[in-house]
Amino acid sequence: MSHRAKTGVPPWGVFPSGVSSLARDLPIIVAGLAGFYGLLTFAVYGTGPANTQAAIQLAPGALPKYALFSVARIVIAYFLSLGFALVYGYVAAYHAKAEKIMVPLLDILQSIPVLSFLPGVMLAMIALFPNRQLGVELGCIVLILTGQVWNMTFSFYSSLKSIPHDMQEAAQTYGLGWWQRLVQIELPYAAIGLIWNSIMSVAGAWFFLMACEMFVLGNRDLRLPGLGSYLQTAANAGDTRAIAWGVGVMVAIIIAMDQVLWRPIIAWAEKFKFEQVEAAEPAHSPILDLLRRSKFLTLAGRVTLRPGREALDLHFARAGAAARQNPSASPFSKLFWRVLLILALAGIGYALMGMSRMLVALSRSEIWMILRGAGATFLRVEVTLLLAALWTVPVGVYVGLRPKLSAFFQPIAQIAASVPATALFPVVLLVLVRVGDGMGVGSMVLLLLGTQWYILFNVIAGASAIPTDLKEVCGVFRVGNFERWRKLFLPGIFPYLITGMITASGGAWNASIVAEYFRFRGQTLSTVGLGAVISQATDSGNFRVLLAATICMAAIVVTVNRLVWRRLYGLAATKFKMDA
Amino acid sequence: MDPQTALKLREILSEGRWDQAVTLLQKLDPATAAELVMEIPFEQQQTLFRALPINLAATLISNFPYYHAYVLLHTRSIEGLRSIVNAMKPGERIQFIEELPEEAWQQLMDELSEEYTPKAPAQKAAATTLGSGVAAPKPLAAREPIAEALQVEKSFLQPDGRQIQVIAPTDLSIEPDTITALLGPSGSGKSTLLRILTGLVKPSKGAVLWHGEPVSECAPNLAIVFQSFALFPWLTILDNVETPLLARGMAHFERHHRALRALHAVGLQGFETAYPKELSGGMKQRVGIARALAVEPEILFMDEPFSALDVLTAENLRGELMELWLARKMPTRAIFLVTHNIEEAALLADRILVLGRNPARIRADFRIPLPQPRDRHSPEFLVYVDYIYKLMTQPELTAALPATPAHAAKPVYPMLPHARPGGIAGLLELLIDHGGKDDVYHVAAELLMEIDDLLPIIEGATLLAFARADKGDVEATDEGRKFAVADISTRKVLFRDAVLAHTQILQQIQRSLASKSDGTMPVEFFRDILEEHFSEAEAQKQIETALTWGRYAEIFTYDSGRDSVTLYGHPHAADSRQDLQHHR
Repeated sequence: MSHRAKTGVPPWGVFPSGVSSLARDLPIIVAGLAGFYGLLTFAVYGTGPANTQAAIQLAPGALPKYALFSVARIVIAYFLSLGFALVYGYVAAYHAKAEKIMVPLLDILQSIPVLSFLPGVMLAMIALFPNRQLGVELGCIVLILTGQVWNMTFSFYSSLKSIPHDMQEAAQTYGLGWWQRLVQIELPYAAIGLIWNSIMSVAGAWFFLMACEMFVLGNRDLRLPGLGSYLQTAANAGDTRAIAWGVGVMVAIIIAMDQVLWRPIIAWAEKFKFEQVEAAEPAHSPILDLLRRSKFLTLAGRVTLRPGREALDLHFARAGAAARQNPSASPFSKLFWRVLLILALAGIGYALMGMSRMLVALSRSEIWMILRGAGATFLRVEVTLLLAALWTVPVGVYVGLRPKLSAFFQPIAQIAASVPATALFPVVLLVLVRVGDGMGVGSMVLLLLGTQWYILFNVIAGASAIPTDLKEVCGVFRVGNFERWRKLFLPGIFPYLITGMITASGGAWNASIVAEYFRFRGQTLSTVGLGAVISQATDSGNFRVLLAATICMAAIVVTVNRLVWRRLYGLAATKFKMDA
Repeated sequence: MDPQTALKLREILSEGRWDQAVTLLQKLDPATAAELVMEIPFEQQQTLFRALPINLAATLISNFPYYHAYVLLHTRSIEGLRSIVNAMKPGERIQFIEELPEEAWQQLMDELSEEYTPKAPAQKAAATTLGSGVAAPKPLAAREPIAEALQVEKSFLQPDGRQIQVIAPTDLSIEPDTITALLGPSGSGKSTLLRILTGLVKPSKGAVLWHGEPVSECAPNLAIVFQSFALFPWLTILDNVETPLLARGMAHFERHHRALRALHAVGLQGFETAYPKELSGGMKQRVGIARALAVEPEILFMDEPFSALDVLTAENLRGELMELWLARKMPTRAIFLVTHNIEEAALLADRILVLGRNPARIRADFRIPLPQPRDRHSPEFLVYVDYIYKLMTQPELTAALPATPAHAAKPVYPMLPHARPGGIAGLLELLIDHGGKDDVYHVAAELLMEIDDLLPIIEGATLLAFARADKGDVEATDEGRKFAVADISTRKVLFRDAVLAHTQILQQIQRSLASKSDGTMPVEFFRDILEEHFSEAEAQKQIETALTWGRYAEIFTYDSGRDSVTLYGHPHAADSRQDLQHHR
């Protein structure tokens, strides 16, 4: 029985016959053309002469173009992040020596707020392409990238490290080359983690979009046409109508991306779930069904993707087999790596020297400002977490224990959470300013807006995962409400609560740079805090304060993670794990 | 043994001069002669044995291992068998009969009695005419091993720099046209040995050769069937089977063709486009076997291939595997099977290697010449099963092995078998129901337990002197009887006494705790002691068992939060049972 006979199709496929299949394919083709047009527009804009002072129009008619530009930046930054994550994760996972440096480095990079990268990235990019829009654009894209890339890298790295042993042995026994390993084992195994982290990364990109598209750098005032700068400008002008339009478009794009992009991808990734039995309720997406049934795409795949993949697979397999027959490590590559290593070390040494020179120049008042800011932000973040937990735990448990309620509540909350809190800041500030309170309370409200959802979702998930028999035991023995919370609900949600708090804590530190310092109605609102110090240092081009404050923040985040969260997580994974 | 005599015997036999062979054997002393005969292929042994005069046969029988003697005896006619047994020296005859398990003993007794008439098919082998020609001896060159391990050993470096040996220097070979089973209790290093043979794991010392070439240099053609199947869940069945073929750079058409052929062989046609998670465990393992067969390996390695399956599925798959093998439909020259299931090994294997533990070493290497398919209930089969149980329940048998230098250098720390007190009590109760003594394989069959689960329980009972294991039997001692019939609190007292009398680690813990004013010690301390003698994982298991025993025996209480133990009844004890007693 040959393959061709089974599918009944010649290798070049058959052309769609009949109008109905054409009608079904029409939206796909139109969407493809529209995407192509958008790409073209962005490319024309990107190669044009530099204009870093674009006047942002607040008319709603300008929004589609701005939205397109912002989406394009996020998408490009995303793919760059993906590439970086794959390479970095791969090297870190397979080179024991490199791993020892690369993983802690990743930990530190993850804790550095986006704005701290801004001056370096921007100045480098503008220096690279001084007369093209491309330079500033690339700077903005790399800035967005620094907000998305770390968690994806971590996810890919830890997936690679946790590939089951027997699977690796099977790959080794049957002589799979690096390419076949990558496409048949490593990428599929890492897919689900990468996808979920991609979703989080893109959400993060929306969160920091306003900061990335419009900022002051020393004496330069940079602004790029986009949704973020539109919102920022609207906030500066205090134009409520424009703010509403901007937020509306942003929410619409986020919901559309969720439906058209993420859901189909999640449903498609079902097959990568590492499970030995089929899930009772696999994820499902009508759009994915549409794509799968499309004859146009099937045909396109058959004439391009499949032969291409086959050719690649065979090429790498044969090259690998040949290399295995005469395994002579070329002396050149060894030399190359050594030179690379020396260069890297020299670079790091030079950077360290430069940094220490800058740090020495810090004045006493600057150090005091940073320390005071660190203390204030620390308190603010912890109080915010506490407040978030205080309202989300009772509500989350209440909802989680009632399946019907949570089925109703979950999608609404998800949409609410997907709105980047920064987009809501102007609205919140409008209210707060009217009430007459400054940034002190304002920044906490903003932090809360940005972080509470992580905790809420996790608590709901935890409460709904409490086994029914345990709830019944409490019922049978008439356990009182207080005891029920103490003996069942709190221990039951503990692992989920901790997971949520860890994410929220990281998010809150990072969000503090936009929450403590905000330009609104032509003036700058700020409060005491490390985030404000960093933002202000960026604005005024005070690099040594920026560097010192960044180091301070990274140190605090890494220390708190190591000392508090990791231990709590360990406790959650052992003592409070449900399966006894 | 003199290799020249062996060569001479082979030469004589290959020319079919049986009478000369008999004369040659008569000249040698019986032990050497028996050893010589054991060396030649079993077909020739049979023919030769039938040609032997009664007296020589009787002396040889006493010098064969009893299981082999039993099988050879039954290749003679019933009259021949009777005369040979009668011609044996009385002491040797009694010893031989004693060794036999119940069913085989019964069969032999029946055969020796005058009324016995043989069942027709049982003596099929004897019906072939004798001396008429050579029993088609296989060319000796075929016996050249495909792969062999020479003095391989494996040790792990502990964090503090000490070496823990997990595999003692071992020689091992895999011959063509043979199913070799490597049998041993769990954690004995079977899988590591398999991985060393395949080149997946490098031995610390020694070499693995494939056709005389080091395994690392010759890219041997082999395949592994894994216990956990190791299929890629995101690939279809067909893609899974094609994966190793693609790795060899095989083009689409041929790859497809070979994969389909392999799937057809294991009866999975029609499932090509299914994903592994849609299949049952048995079907998944079929895919694993198809994937292995698709590469047409010289040796097919199987690492506990049926352990993850339920009993019926495993039995079915075993049968189909043997059908493929016997019909030579398998594109493979040898099978190397790792298992802890004694019956499985005895059913499938032509040759069995029994592995001992801590460190792993080969305790026995013998062939099972019984024809396929084998009958699980035949006395001949049970003789082998009983023999393996005997080997595995009797650690003393290994004392005869030459101690390796590394082994002799350090006193062996007694190991706790990983049994729960409840399991030990259950075994003793069962034994008493059976009159206090039974064959181990009977117990295993009655409890539907695999040796892996049963062995630690028997070892535990023996260690605590509640039972005695002897020659494949297990017998409850007086202490054991007391323990079995006692109520729960008396049981705890008896258990405590036994544990403190017989186990080093619990004695050590008890003494250390008693010497402390607060009666408390961190478990880490004892873990460190154990890690000097065992690998990290085994030390952890030892600690877990010690904690279970010690808590059951009410020697100490354990606080998992602080990872510390406190003497039971000590005022500092965190255990609330103490408070309870005060309240009473």
